[in-house]
Amino acid sequence: MVFLFVAVPLVVAGVLPLLGKLSKRVLPDILSNLTFLFLLVYAATAGRQIIAGGPVSQQILWFGEPVQILLGLDGLALFMLMAIALVSLCAGIFSIDYMEHYGAKANYYALFLIMVAGMNGLVLAKDLFQVYLFLEVAAVASYALVAYGLGYEELEAAFKYLLLSVVASAFVLIGVTVLFGLTGSLGFEAVGRGLQELPAGPMAALCAALFVAGFGLKAALIPFHAWLPDAHPSAPAPISAMLSGLLIKVSGIYALTRIFFSVFGLTSLLSNLLMGLGVISAVVAALLALGQKDIKRMLAYSSISQVGYIVLGIGLGTPLGILGGLFHLFNHALAKGLLFLTSGSVQMATGTRNLDEMGGLAKRMPWTAATNLVGSLSIAGVPPLGGFWSKLVIIMALVQAGRWPYAVIAVLASVLTLWYYLLIQRKAFFGKIEERWKDIREAPFWMTAATVILALLCIGVGIFFAAVLKSWVQPAADVLAQGVTAVIPRGR
Amino acid sequence: MSPNLLLAPILLPAALAVFFFLVPKRVRLVREILSVAGSLVLLYLAFALFEVKTLGLKIAWLGMGIDFDLRLFHFSSFILLGLAGFLFLISLYSTVKMKDNPRVREYYAYVFLSAALANGAVLSNNFVPLVFFWEGLLLTLYGLITIGGKEANRTAVKAFIISGFCDFAMILGIGLLWSITGTLTLSEISVKPEGLAAASFILMMIGAIGKAGAMPFHTWIPDAAIDAPVTFMAFMPAAFEKLLGIYLLARITLDLFQLEARTTMSIVLMSIGALTIVLAVLMALIQKDLKKLLSFHAVSQVGYMILGIGTGIPIGIAGGIFHMINHAMYKCGLFLSAGSVEHRAGTTELKKLGGLAREMPLTAAGFTVCALAISGVWPLNGFVSKEMVFRGALETGYKVFAVAAWVGAIFTFASFLKAGHSVFFGARSQDVPKVKESPSPLVIPILILALLCITFGVYNKLPLNEFIQPILAGHVEAGAHLDFTAHALSLLNPVAGISILCLIIALGLHLHGWNRAGKKAFLASEPIHNLPVLHNLYNLSEARFFDLYEQGVKFLIGLSTVLSRAVDRPIDYFFEKVVTAVGVKLTSLFQKAHNGQYANYLAWCLAGLLAIVGIVSLVVK
Repeated sequence: MVFLFVAVPLVVAGVLPLLGKLSKRVLPDILSNLTFLFLLVYAATAGRQIIAGGPVSQQILWFGEPVQILLGLDGLALFMLMAIALVSLCAGIFSIDYMEHYGAKANYYALFLIMVAGMNGLVLAKDLFQVYLFLEVAAVASYALVAYGLGYEELEAAFKYLLLSVVASAFVLIGVTVLFGLTGSLGFEAVGRGLQELPAGPMAALCAALFVAGFGLKAALIPFHAWLPDAHPSAPAPISAMLSGLLIKVSGIYALTRIFFSVFGLTSLLSNLLMGLGVISAVVAALLALGQKDIKRMLAYSSISQVGYIVLGIGLGTPLGILGGLFHLFNHALAKGLLFLTSGSVQMATGTRNLDEMGGLAKRMPWTAATNLVGSLSIAGVPPLGGFWSKLVIIMALVQAGRWPYAVIAVLASVLTLWYYLLIQRKAFFGKIEERWKDIREAPFWMTAATVILALLCIGVGIFFAAVLKSWVQPAADVLAQGVTAVIPRGR
Repeated sequence: MSPNLLLAPILLPAALAVFFFLVPKRVRLVREILSVAGSLVLLYLAFALFEVKTLGLKIAWLGMGIDFDLRLFHFSSFILLGLAGFLFLISLYSTVKMKDNPRVREYYAYVFLSAALANGAVLSNNFVPLVFFWEGLLLTLYGLITIGGKEANRTAVKAFIISGFCDFAMILGIGLLWSITGTLTLSEISVKPEGLAAASFILMMIGAIGKAGAMPFHTWIPDAAIDAPVTFMAFMPAAFEKLLGIYLLARITLDLFQLEARTTMSIVLMSIGALTIVLAVLMALIQKDLKKLLSFHAVSQVGYMILGIGTGIPIGIAGGIFHMINHAMYKCGLFLSAGSVEHRAGTTELKKLGGLAREMPLTAAGFTVCALAISGVWPLNGFVSKEMVFRGALETGYKVFAVAAWVGAIFTFASFLKAGHSVFFGARSQDVPKVKESPSPLVIPILILALLCITFGVYNKLPLNEFIQPILAGHVEAGAHLDFTAHALSLLNPVAGISILCLIIALGLHLHGWNRAGKKAFLASEPIHNLPVLHNLYNLSEARFFDLYEQGVKFLIGLSTVLSRAVDRPIDYFFEKVVTAVGVKLTSLFQKAHNGQYANYLAWCLAGLLAIVGIVSLVVK
């Protein structure tokens, strides 16, 4: 029942505001987290069986009549569903305590669930219009969530986010329209086949360019990144974790790779384009992160940089590169989710996000400091944590493909990454505790629990990286590696 | 007799060691009774095993020829007996000498653990357990030296590294031997030291003589003499390590490799022996501290054993092994009497001591007998074993080695004349207040050892026939008559004549120096100390110039300084200054571009789109 991934969160989201009238806190907490748990368990248990015989498509019926919504599940989609369910469950658990002082929890969870439904739908989409549709569903929910604090800063950031996101949607919609005009169909396979029959080189190339720009905007690749450092820090911490950990990857990277690999086919032109964007993002954003004083802004820039890594790996297009890129996507989702959550704990305890004002918090917040360290080291690529292995696979793939310059830059960028993460760790957690933070307290139970779960996952994935790669990432990478059929005329 | 009994000499002291480690410091009486009684039981056990002679215990262990294989035969049972005897004497002695040491728990634990490991090493008939026990001794060695206090830590590290190096060489040698013979069982190996086997021989020999403390692996011993407890000196370098090192050397030369007289390997060994004798004794001669003087002799005397075994001639080998047990007895006795003096007088500096014989007659008597024995005075045991070594060396035809041994004998006697004269005889010094004889647990071990020295000298046929001869059984060429005892007591032969002449020269040297120094005995060695070339060498040596360890440490420190200055600092500068500066510059550059203007950001997006479209259309056409 593939459509459950979309339907369940949507239905719960619809019911929640009503239930919120009955119970302001407990019921929304329980119901939404149960939903996330269901999604995780369902993806982990049923998902594998559903696709055991190969990719599955499901037509949605409305009172027995088929409607034009076709959802497909394959290894890659399942992998993404797992990642979404995992991070959203942790963010949901974190929200139990964290969202107390924001109020209107039911509405918050409803928006959260809509965003998850949008992402799930996007992952399961089988045609171009659905991609656009679910992209917007997730995006609209996220606009509201960024503005959820209703402060001046939040509203400004949400507005900026909205405006640039609309531009992205416009690019994507234009691309979709042109492709529909050319081939008369919207399904991935149909469009791909149509493009191969048509001598539609330049137009297809234009569409590819529009998609790169549109999804690049969603993924916040440089130079399309400027909205992210405002939007992500302004949202409540669990939403920051969702946006940085998942949304940019689902609506940016996933959509981009899905379309490029199964519609256009990855030519060397697109490959070089993506790798160029990836490497610029990885380096420039890392340098930008270095200059930040605001802990969440630093994390946001770091997301751009890590997205660059992922695009670098996937854009390389070799099986190993795709594997590494997807694995890094997963690791980054876990670690960056974790880091945004811990930054939320810090903000809640101290009331500030400015690194210069913190110091020595580890003494009062040992759990937060420890989990933050795990997340930092994982993203920075310190063995034996997950991030180390995925970066290693990407770099190995680059070396294997003979792309030495990219490999060297990737290594150097990871040094920069370590640099600014140690900066966070030192400025916020280590050293002597400031007088004014003498009485702060460790984050409440559910918040700590969520971060500990994610930290353990970071460690576990690192230690059992071979098993994770083999059972979850490899099937996903295989889907992409099989789907490469080039339609854009090759010109060198 | 059950073969499992072979485990007792290993497990009993090990269990006692654990007990001593756990029992609180206050429980003194139990500890002391148990240590003395335990070592007595061990001694009895060793006697019993010595009577049994042959016993084997083989427990399958790791596979691949690695078994826990213990073998009792004449030689190992003899060494077991020696080890147990010294353990008993040291335990008795320690009851008084170590009673106030703050780390007495550890001390007893290490001593008994050492005994367990040494017994295991001697009994092992497989290289893997042998190495296991052998390396374990490295730990107790380190631990025992550190008991001497804070200053001893440096010495402990030094001893650990030097011994570790030797052990490493031995392990390499064992590995080579394994690859040559394909077996790890000692009793199955017998190869000629040629080619690769020669390398293996040299490496294993380094392990053996390093344990025994021969040059150039000796340098930690004089340092330890100052830093470590004197009981440790009597226990490890004087007794246990000599027994173990020379036991292994004898096994190497007799069993594992067929060392023949007048071959290269034999000459190598003899050279090491001769050099060790002469150089160490020259260093011993000028020492101003009794313990340090003794420690250099502990090195020098190893030379005789190595020289004797290295000759490859039955009488020489027998002499070397006999010298080992003799040396262990008198050197242990000497260290213990030095400890006794230290116990009462509070110092072992020759300058501050003098005329103690009247107040400490028993210690003085024990010291005198042991000193005469080590100097090779007829009819003590040292005379007998040295005679045998001289004969062996002469029989090889390389007279130079015999000459070196005789030169060593001269200076040995001279330095002991000086030491004994300074401490026990001559004018009573004013630096030390009136003293009493040491308590009996200190004196009895000394007297037992002195008595043994006399017994083994006068009735030398007894130990030679009982202990030494069977070791050589089967190693002498068929038909050769193994009668090396006949001459030993006879003074009327040229070899003994030369030896006695050496002693007379030594006496002359001492009296000359004593007179020159205005009847101050502790300066009696100054005439030799001040000889033109020798003086410079002495100065260099005192400055540890010849100490390979110190030179190695200096070299490494120099190397690391150079590396640090020339390589590490520049790299560090590059990363710390250049990279950060560039990083900060670039960061601020990029940051300026992010001014928060929406229009600006939108422009970037559009420019990006245009750029991509441009690139794509240019390429695609």
